[in-house]
Amino acid sequence: MPSDTGSSAPHHDLDPEPQSVEEQLASVTLSVSDGQPSTHQETNGVVLESVNQNTQLVMEEQLQHISVPAGEIDEVRESADRGVVWGRTASEVDMDGLSSPSSSGYAGERGSSSETSGSVIGDVVEQDEIEETRNDVIVDEVSESRTPWLPAKRHVDEDDASISWRKRKKHFFILSNSGKPIYSRYGDEHKLAGFSATLQAIISFVEDGGDCVKLLRAGKHQVVFLVKGPIYLVCISCTEEPYESLKGQLELIYDQMLVILTKSVNRCFEKNPKFDMTPLLGGTDVVFSSLIHSFSWNPATFLHAYTCLPLAYATRQAAGAILQDVADSGVLFAILMSRHKVVSLVGAQKASLHPDDMLLLANFVMSSESFRTSESFSPVCLPRYNPFAFLYAYIHYFDADTYLMLLTTNSDAFYHLKDCRIRIEAVLFKSNVLSEVQRSLIDGGMHIEDLLVDPLTRSESSSHLGQHKPPTESLERLKEPYLGVGGPAGLWHFIYRSIYLDQYVSSEFSSPINTPRQQKRLYRAYQKLFASMHDKGVGPHKTQFRRDENYVLLCWVTQDFELYAAFDPLADKASAIKACNRVCQWVKDVENEIFLLDFIAPSVSFRYTLQE
Amino acid sequence: MATIGHNNINAKLVLLGDMGAGKSSIVLRFVKGQFLEFQESTIGAAFFSQTLAVNDATVKFEIWDTAGQERYHSLAPMYYRGAAAAIIVYDITNEDSFARAKKWVLELQKQGNPNMVVALAGNKADLEDKRKVTAEEARAYAEENNLFFMETSAKTASNVNDMFCEIAKRLPRAQPAPNPAGMVLVDRPSEGSRAAASCCS
Repeated sequence: MPSDTGSSAPHHDLDPEPQSVEEQLASVTLSVSDGQPSTHQETNGVVLESVNQNTQLVMEEQLQHISVPAGEIDEVRESADRGVVWGRTASEVDMDGLSSPSSSGYAGERGSSSETSGSVIGDVVEQDEIEETRNDVIVDEVSESRTPWLPAKRHVDEDDASISWRKRKKHFFILSNSGKPIYSRYGDEHKLAGFSATLQAIISFVEDGGDCVKLLRAGKHQVVFLVKGPIYLVCISCTEEPYESLKGQLELIYDQMLVILTKSVNRCFEKNPKFDMTPLLGGTDVVFSSLIHSFSWNPATFLHAYTCLPLAYATRQAAGAILQDVADSGVLFAILMSRHKVVSLVGAQKASLHPDDMLLLANFVMSSESFRTSESFSPVCLPRYNPFAFLYAYIHYFDADTYLMLLTTNSDAFYHLKDCRIRIEAVLFKSNVLSEVQRSLIDGGMHIEDLLVDPLTRSESSSHLGQHKPPTESLERLKEPYLGVGGPAGLWHFIYRSIYLDQYVSSEFSSPINTPRQQKRLYRAYQKLFASMHDKGVGPHKTQFRRDENYVLLCWVTQDFELYAAFDPLADKASAIKACNRVCQWVKDVENEIFLLDFIAPSVSFRYTLQE
Repeated sequence: MATIGHNNINAKLVLLGDMGAGKSSIVLRFVKGQFLEFQESTIGAAFFSQTLAVNDATVKFEIWDTAGQERYHSLAPMYYRGAAAAIIVYDITNEDSFARAKKWVLELQKQGNPNMVVALAGNKADLEDKRKVTAEEARAYAEENNLFFMETSAKTASNVNDMFCEIAKRLPRAQPAPNPAGMVLVDRPSEGSRAAASCCS
């Protein structure tokens, strides 16, 4: 076996990193499995974080004023070990003390749970702990354990008095600043009016103090708030995801709402503060539930990058050429996608599409069954392009997976876009793009099993994806000393994000990460890693090596790319580093097939080598 | 089948009505002969085309199945502008949807093409036991407003094709044009009576 430290490519001489990576790793290694900073050691108390620190005192007075017997609010950095306030605020806060709308019969609704008056959420936390360690699947993930996930509003019969509703691990709410419910992930919005008013009350009295509430912690639960003008978004979660991740998810939910309505919906609230927004969002539950579902399987939701369907360079070029042709005829954006992956994408002149807009647009189209029935013409807003205006989207599915989106500013352009589609379809058919797309969907892209141990062998074989390797190579791999179970050197999975291209590529899942639940757990681990690498208070980090009982995670950030890799927890650090270097070389080798390469943006960089 | 003097008519048709009234179901029944018990909400508007042969003409319907949600109401003119025909759909088990249908009628009377053929469809006629809007009430309203009225069921296919057929017959006939593609029908009131004479009901 080669004993060189991954210095297979000649470029390594150009390695710009002056400091040895070993030193870097040593300085940033985190051995804790739980990334929570130790300053948040409270077990049962509620901690509030807000923009200005002065709010804590205000909160404390207010809460005492509204007579919560056991409840107290603690300073963020104080270690708290007191009564559960959140349980109380959720169920028994006397709303009279607050300037908020009445809570529509809420007191009556909670009657059924009054036996648990001590700490309602606290009880749920304990139950959830058991569920999380033993059988995660029971409450939150039952629908995704085996059967394919179907986008549908779930559990409409529930409300905040239902035990099952309280046990859900991750709630999302949209409400108006007058406390009117707009969307709830679980349960019927209208039955949650009282709960909504409670959330509104928390936000509004922090606002009264000239501050803005960001986060409440109560035991294992985090309550994350996001204020967007007259719209409030709240996430209540006990999934241990970092605050920044949950906040990012709320931002996406808000932007998804803008895709449907634009920001001009704010004007409705200016005219009438009690405006009921739910009818405006009629029929879009699936769009939101599908987005929320994607938080646990689609890394684009936290990477802010899109991914391409792996295709031969010539195939993608053929698709790109006809899209460019169409874009030149007055189409703002022409996007060909298969499921959530981009086949090709063209923007007119200087118009560029933000990856988050692409994510939300694709989610909007894929979650709405109506687009599959026939060609459609629908107003859509791209919040990063212009949050106030509608564009018009012509949407057509070529087959069950592959769809074309043509975006224009002209509401009369349907017949023109229809003609464009007919031209595009003819070219795609003639150049076999659609069949290649189907083949790629089946074959997948980068399989870590194909990551060759010996780079010399690699250069002999074709560097194309999906090519079968001669048997000698697999024999060679068997000679690799035991360095962890799974792929080479115990590599289980990786994500490579190109910063210039706004694109990422992730390896196909394979053993042992082969159930949706394991995949979700890995994405959550990546997400945590991403958040810690981008934490402005601590970072920026260049590398991070983290070992816990589930994985070894290695993250490497350069100016050009970010690499996230997961290994067997027993994997050896030196081998892991070698494997990462090989992944980067591999990505470079196949960049033409896995990325949509722009004329201007530089191609995948390979000026870096991770060294021991 | 094309014969000399045969009329080839392209007609833009728009379906309007409250969400859940059954617009998409009617279109899918007419265009694809399908019915889904749980039809998903339409987003924006879906476009279909279907050709019908009536006694003296071949009518190619270009159908806009619009979304019934409130947020799309302001965009409706985009779809009904230039339409030769409209079907306003309500659900016979839902009075609100009938009220909403009346609003659509008003809007078309104000904004639409005055010669547009407008049909009022009381859908879900198979749900007789849940009926809230009587056929008499709707028929009287339709007569007052010069609409033609039918109760339909996309589920059982009752009256769906008949309604499109009737619209096709009522469409004013244009001169045979050598190049009819994309043509929007121009109305000729004088010919309207002839079309009406040939309809069966």
